[in-house]
Amino acid sequence: MKDQVIEILQNLTGSDEVGKDLDVNLFESGLLDSMGTVQLLLELQSQCGIDVPVSEFERSEWDTPNKIIAKVENMQ
Amino acid sequence: MPNIQPYQNPTYFLILGVALLPIMIGMLFGKKLHWYQTLISFAFLVLTFGGVKWEQGIALIGYIVFEVCLIGLYHLYRKKKNATWVFCSAVILAIIPLVIVKVTPAFENGQVALIGFLGISYLTFKVVQMIMEIRDGIIKEFKPWLVLQFLLFFPTISSGPIDRYRRFVKDYNKIVTRDKYLNLLDKAVWYIFLGFLYKFILAYYFGSRLQPMVAQLALSHGGMSWWVVAYTYVYSMHLFFDFAGYSLFAVGISYIMGIETPMNFNRPFKAHNIKDFWNRWHMTLSFWFRDYIYMRLVFFIMKNKLIKSRITIANLGYLTLFLIMGFWHGVTWYYIVYGLFHACAIILCDAWLRFKKKHQARIPSNKFTEGLAIFITFNTVCFSFLIFSGFLNVLFFHGTLN
Amino acid sequence: MNVFKKLFKIFGPVLIAALLLFIFLISPFGVKNISQTTIQKAALSQSPNVFKGTAVKEAAMSQNYVPFFGSSELSRMDALHPSVLAQKYHRDYRPFLLGSPGTQSLTHYWGMQGIRKQLTNKKAVFIISPQWFVKKGVDPNAFSFYYSNLETVEWLRQAGNTRMDRYAASRLLTMPSASSSETLEKCILKVAAGQQLSSTEKTYLDLKYNMLKHEDQMFSMLTLKDKRSLIETGEKQLPDTYNTAKLNKIAENLGKANTTNNRFNVDNNFWNKRLKKSYQKLRNEQSNFSYIKSVEYSDFELVLNQFAKQNTNVLFIIPPINQKWADYTGLSMNMIHQFNRKIKYQLNSQGFNNVVDLSDDGSSPYFMQDTIHLGWKGWLKVDQYVNPFLSKKQKAPNYKINNYFYTKNWQQKENISLD
Repeated sequence: MKDQVIEILQNLTGSDEVGKDLDVNLFESGLLDSMGTVQLLLELQSQCGIDVPVSEFERSEWDTPNKIIAKVENMQ
Repeated sequence: MPNIQPYQNPTYFLILGVALLPIMIGMLFGKKLHWYQTLISFAFLVLTFGGVKWEQGIALIGYIVFEVCLIGLYHLYRKKKNATWVFCSAVILAIIPLVIVKVTPAFENGQVALIGFLGISYLTFKVVQMIMEIRDGIIKEFKPWLVLQFLLFFPTISSGPIDRYRRFVKDYNKIVTRDKYLNLLDKAVWYIFLGFLYKFILAYYFGSRLQPMVAQLALSHGGMSWWVVAYTYVYSMHLFFDFAGYSLFAVGISYIMGIETPMNFNRPFKAHNIKDFWNRWHMTLSFWFRDYIYMRLVFFIMKNKLIKSRITIANLGYLTLFLIMGFWHGVTWYYIVYGLFHACAIILCDAWLRFKKKHQARIPSNKFTEGLAIFITFNTVCFSFLIFSGFLNVLFFHGTLN
Repeated sequence: MNVFKKLFKIFGPVLIAALLLFIFLISPFGVKNISQTTIQKAALSQSPNVFKGTAVKEAAMSQNYVPFFGSSELSRMDALHPSVLAQKYHRDYRPFLLGSPGTQSLTHYWGMQGIRKQLTNKKAVFIISPQWFVKKGVDPNAFSFYYSNLETVEWLRQAGNTRMDRYAASRLLTMPSASSSETLEKCILKVAAGQQLSSTEKTYLDLKYNMLKHEDQMFSMLTLKDKRSLIETGEKQLPDTYNTAKLNKIAENLGKANTTNNRFNVDNNFWNKRLKKSYQKLRNEQSNFSYIKSVEYSDFELVLNQFAKQNTNVLFIIPPINQKWADYTGLSMNMIHQFNRKIKYQLNSQGFNNVVDLSDDGSSPYFMQDTIHLGWKGWLKVDQYVNPFLSKKQKAPNYKINNYFYTKNWQQKENISLD
């Protein structure tokens, strides 16, 4: 699961950094924006089968790869 | 009956200070005096919407009854079914009062709608947000009492910041430790005094001293002159310090009541680009638009694969967001142009960021380029405020201040 | 205890600051020594802060400064301006300019409240503008601009049940400024109705007085316009000894040099800024102007009444109107003469006998700086009256105030004959 999330993030951000530093702040570093977030949610839906409503998405809870992985594992 | 507008004069702060004393003592002893908080909230609402403003008070009561019923009914429905058209109808019904208030002056020669009151737009944001989260199934329970507390939270009722229901309820019920509360108090006092500096010294100086003078000079010169440029910066400073000062009061007072209302400004003139600017300026509003309009629209388009190009989707999202924001400010040409201007600016900004990412190696990045970016952003923003101020409208079409 | 220590760290500074400020504001002690430079600047600045306040005015007038009440003409600071002449020829007096565009009788009446003591048994100069005497008198917005609660509090503290105070109160109540404070508005209402103020109200006024006074002492002198260089420039154009013929020549030359771009003998700058664009629209614009029926006459009576109360010896000056301009705009000279008769009747019949009527000088070239404002030769002529009046000992005045001048009847009266 962890690898799958990282792969999604790498595809989305077009950068390998997310794989190296799992605590990088995705929003502050400019790797992810609102647009990317929506894509992330859609990918998670189609690839991992988890459904995250947009309003569930609280930026501060989703701002690093590690946090996202934890969220996803939690929701499965 | 007296009428005191929020945060306008020392008397208001004095009354506020005394009224909040029991809450502070209670919080220090780990107790939340919810009944007392309700009582003083009611008292302050009466101060703001009573007396000579009683018509607004009636409008507020009518509005609240209508919206709370709407939320309740939609919640009841959502427990059983989830049709999109019902959801859309609920949202439309929720914003109808605001639409009437915003449209009336444009069609009735500047006359104000009877159902309007101070803060109706901010309340509408809170209501729409609740309906959307009920649709998403995130708000599961409907507790009319808490909804009322959320909507009518008096420190933020007139002009925000726009809080989120789930966040608010968490704070409302939470007992904070003494150390944490002392920390909140410390920040609250700092915010309120910073607010004094902003609103009563800086905003006063720019707004009441410089602005009329510069406006007069610009008008007597007529047409485009350096005075219009001066007006642009004076107005921008006034706008920021006035609104940021007000927001600091609202946040400070919220903290004293144990509610950590989110911040509205984060050094907006330090922004490196327009996108960055909207993450720092009137943040609770721009985040609301981001979360409830932009992201939803983008999500909808992508999920249904209506448009392929990511860039087109993003640009369409921006255009929608800022047009709605323009109309929300009021139905006048300059608010709408202001919205379009920011949409264009952010679309350009995105294009530039993409270009920069592609050619990272060849584009220098140092203290100078950073300064240049801040400078360009600042001036773009100030120019947009000149549009927003409506001064061009006066300058082009009326020629005098009334 | 730890909590208290922390609480003190949070609220201590706030409480101490509030306490200190409160003590300072309501304490009866004055704080500031006003320097000579400040007084010099203030006397020339015509700034609303000085006008509304009392501190500088008091300080200046307890020295050799004499109040020059007026309006926009005071800002025509050419070489023959009273302030220049007084300084250049080391007169015993210095003018303290009170007035700028928009100040009229009612404004002056309130402005006088803070300097009642300084006016007592002293001299003053008062320039009356016919243009004040429009139907409704002073413009409420202009009034607000020069109004301060400090003056009202000063006034309320001594107001009684007299015709003057009742009239003043009722006039103030028609201005938006009256409702700036609820308590004050209530007091003004009481005075208008001829009622006594309660002792609570009096205590409130005393505390409020201390507070506003301190505010005035601290802030009214912060942003003074410095016009001293204008005076110095003027001085350089004058001969070292006072010689009327020589000065007349200088006034003439200055006038000639500064009125070259129009046919009305109007100052070039004024022409360019104010008239050039619009003057064609103004032809015959003023043919139905009238300064005969106006509430201003009763407002002016307030000023006279206050002067009488303080036994101030006042020299009144009625300036003319630029004849060429009056002809062009169609202003009726017949009406102006009627105005003169009416105002002089009001003055003379109450014992105000030092009246200089310059209204026949409007056709003399370079007498006016522009359309309605005194300039070069006009100022010099004013000096011929002002200097002896202020430099020599004068007979004590003997005023008899007549309440008739507060009535609508008088405000509306036409066709006064002086006999």
